[in-house]
Amino acid sequence: MRNFWILFSYEGRHFRAAKGLVLLCCLLLATGLYGIYYGTTEIERQRQHLATLPELTRRNVEELKVKFPGPADAGDIGYYHTTFAVHHPDPWAALSLGLRDVNPSYVKLRLLGLQNQLYAADNTNPMKVLSGNFDLAFVLVYLFPLLIIALSFNLLSSEREEGILVLLLAQPVGPATVVGAKLAFRISVVLGLALALSVVGMLWAQVPLDMRVVAWLVLTILYCLFWFGVALVVTALQRTSAVNAVTLLGVWLVLVVLVPSLLNLGVAAARPVPQGIELTIKQREEIHAGWDRPKAQTMNRFFALYPQWRDTTSIRERFVWRWYYAFQHLGDQAVAPQAAAYAHRLQQRYDLVEQLNLLSPAINAQSSFNALAGTDLPTHLQFQRSAARFHDSLRAFYYPFLFRKVEFTHADYAREPTHTFTSQPELGTAYGGLVKLLLSVAAMYALGAGLLRLRPISPR
Amino acid sequence: MMDSIAQKEFVSTLRDRRFAVLSVLVLALLLAATLVGRASYRTLQQERQLAQGTVNEQFRNQPARHPHRVAHYGSFAFRPKSGLSLLDTGVDSFTGSAVYLEAHQQNSVNFSQAQQSGSLLRFGEMTVAFVLQLLVPLLIIFLCFGAFTQERETGTLKLLLSQGVTLRQVAWGKIWGYSQAVALVVTPALALAAALLFTGEEFSSGVDLVARLTLFVLGYGVYFFLIVVGAVVVSAKQASSRAALVTLLGFWILGCIILPKATANLGASLYPTTTKAQMDAEVHEEAQHGINGHDPQDKRSAELKAALLKKYGVDTEEKLPVSLAGLQMAAGEEYSAKVYQQHFAALNATYERQNRLSDWAGLLNPYQAIRPLSMGLAGSDFAHYVHFQQAAETYRYNLVQRLNQLQADMGYGDKERRLDASTWRQLPVFTYQAPPLRWVLPQLLLPIMALLLWAGLLSWLGLRLISKTPVA
Repeated sequence: MRNFWILFSYEGRHFRAAKGLVLLCCLLLATGLYGIYYGTTEIERQRQHLATLPELTRRNVEELKVKFPGPADAGDIGYYHTTFAVHHPDPWAALSLGLRDVNPSYVKLRLLGLQNQLYAADNTNPMKVLSGNFDLAFVLVYLFPLLIIALSFNLLSSEREEGILVLLLAQPVGPATVVGAKLAFRISVVLGLALALSVVGMLWAQVPLDMRVVAWLVLTILYCLFWFGVALVVTALQRTSAVNAVTLLGVWLVLVVLVPSLLNLGVAAARPVPQGIELTIKQREEIHAGWDRPKAQTMNRFFALYPQWRDTTSIRERFVWRWYYAFQHLGDQAVAPQAAAYAHRLQQRYDLVEQLNLLSPAINAQSSFNALAGTDLPTHLQFQRSAARFHDSLRAFYYPFLFRKVEFTHADYAREPTHTFTSQPELGTAYGGLVKLLLSVAAMYALGAGLLRLRPISPR
Repeated sequence: MMDSIAQKEFVSTLRDRRFAVLSVLVLALLLAATLVGRASYRTLQQERQLAQGTVNEQFRNQPARHPHRVAHYGSFAFRPKSGLSLLDTGVDSFTGSAVYLEAHQQNSVNFSQAQQSGSLLRFGEMTVAFVLQLLVPLLIIFLCFGAFTQERETGTLKLLLSQGVTLRQVAWGKIWGYSQAVALVVTPALALAAALLFTGEEFSSGVDLVARLTLFVLGYGVYFFLIVVGAVVVSAKQASSRAALVTLLGFWILGCIILPKATANLGASLYPTTTKAQMDAEVHEEAQHGINGHDPQDKRSAELKAALLKKYGVDTEEKLPVSLAGLQMAAGEEYSAKVYQQHFAALNATYERQNRLSDWAGLLNPYQAIRPLSMGLAGSDFAHYVHFQQAAETYRYNLVQRLNQLQADMGYGDKERRLDASTWRQLPVFTYQAPPLRWVLPQLLLPIMALLLWAGLLSWLGLRLISKTPVA
């Protein structure tokens, strides 16, 4: 054990002498801090944007109060009044932005049919979204493996190439101790860096202190350990430094770049998503056919869904709002199966990736980080469901005015329901990812140890 | 002598088993990416054509309706994929594919591929451009890192120079040899892509496509050439093969992974934009109260009415030969569309400012020069997307205004009447013509310049550096 610590401390001296490696660690620290800065400012910007929405609604109400000074028909208000379903980020989102830049964080809603409002996109710069987010999760998932590769590609090979390994192994130390000490020193440097960045990120983003702190740290540790496991396996193959570097980078390329992009193709082919646009087209057709159908037919179909309004007087006028909103809702009803199928297929696609991400710990780590932060597809689907329920509550609020012919007064604006939704972490996904990562780590070290036993370290 | 060095490098590269494995891998990925790109291109194109056909038919087969009802019924514009986008999907996966066109408002382009997949897509898409831009440079690095260091380590460089060649000639010979090897890997895939492009019946194999493809190939030619030269220069300047390899890989990581993301993110932080909700509210407000608070809508409507009454020499709306509501609607649409255009232009100007940082970074980083060039030629960059949005808005505006005119011509009391079903067949449907090469070329001058500058500087300065490098 003493030998281990001697070797460990000499690795430390060696490391401090190698200016390049120290510089590399400092660089990574700087990129990590930039990642945290970018993530927190991005989430702060989104929060500010969301904070302006109530103001927009308030201005809209002001305008309506001028337009309708006295008690008004609720149908007019429902038509001109806009409100928002908002998706607030969890503080963790700052560390792993996930799809928060791709999916809109709010939905603008009127009392009209839901389905042609629910999928509206926000303003985005596609070039920026294509380039992706430079957040802490990116630094951990993409760049940390590269640091690990840079630190350990010549773990033994450089000693061998410089002829030191012969001298070292002539001392009363076993090769396992040498490899163990070298690896342990590098692991402590990298984990120190990764954990320090994570803690800084958590403090900066002011995350709540719950189980997710532990989960994030364990995920980070396991992911780094996995890459050290890969380095161990490559070391155990005992090739030259150049071959090691190429092999390790090849593994990085395969796991971080190739497998995800190929998996993406495979999943898209295996789980085709019905075109979302189809349901909006069909809904438009239904709604506009409402104008041309006999009013009694529309109302009877509506009353079958809402028998509580059945006793309202039959419609003789050319136009009344309750008839208008009835066929708006029937339009949504007509495409309800398609809408459910669309969301279901998206979820299935995500689930398939979850099953297959054992193939690449990088995908696994990324989706686990996203799951902890509540920034991936399932959270967005949850938000859409929540927005749909909000739309239901809006209809429930307006229907008594419309069907009982109650006048809408200025005081009623304040009684209108409002919406708020905050991302919930997908803890199940994150813990599942953790277990899978643990398996990958175990497999790598078992392979490395097996290889070392099979072919003992040769000093030359 | 230079030729025989080139010949030697070429032949020994082909004999190298590692190169063989790697190049077969890259070639396989390229061919697969071409085929997959074509398959997904076809699926998307067919889906969109079918959907466009459906909505066009629906529009033409409407029953008798009031024109303003038709304006609210509206239509959809689907963005067709450009032919070369099967090689480089650019930003296509992150932009929407369909926009709903209706009266009074400009809707967002919805349903992007990115919204329909999880965060997996963010790791990058397997396209031909992806392989050419990121993986081929890696192949080149593995090929060239030992160009000089190995000769030096084995002592053959001295022998070579004793034959009477200069270092510069050795370098050119090596560059030429490696370039041939790279061409051998890349050409079959590009040939397949070209064959698919020009034989597929769905592509109009016009001059434009040929020119785009030619520039595409030339652009990548220069890109690979400058990376070969750069790798050889680094190899000459580094003491050992290991150092050369690590340096080159460091450049690759910095240029292909870190810088593009950092510049894009920095640009977005520096030039913030507003949300669509905010923008729509501002457009609405300015349309209501007039730009800068001058002539609000009520006042404009009243003035229009007064002017019409005076023009036709009548005293009440009932006596007008035109529908006042229709004309007021047309005036309102004209005004709000003008306001919208101002905001839309400002938004895009901000996006362009955000992207400019990345464009200029092309001068520092060849990857950020080939990327915009490639997607610009493929018709899948931001500018082409904006072009589509503009075309859809122009169509929407013209359609709504024609419908408003139809309403105006119906005269007073139009609300009680409808227009015949045959009316809708006479209105044009949405067709989109992607812009020609000469439209996009001016925007691609910067990346072209950057690539040529890199190639020129490396050939001149880099080779000068090599000629001064120590031999032993």
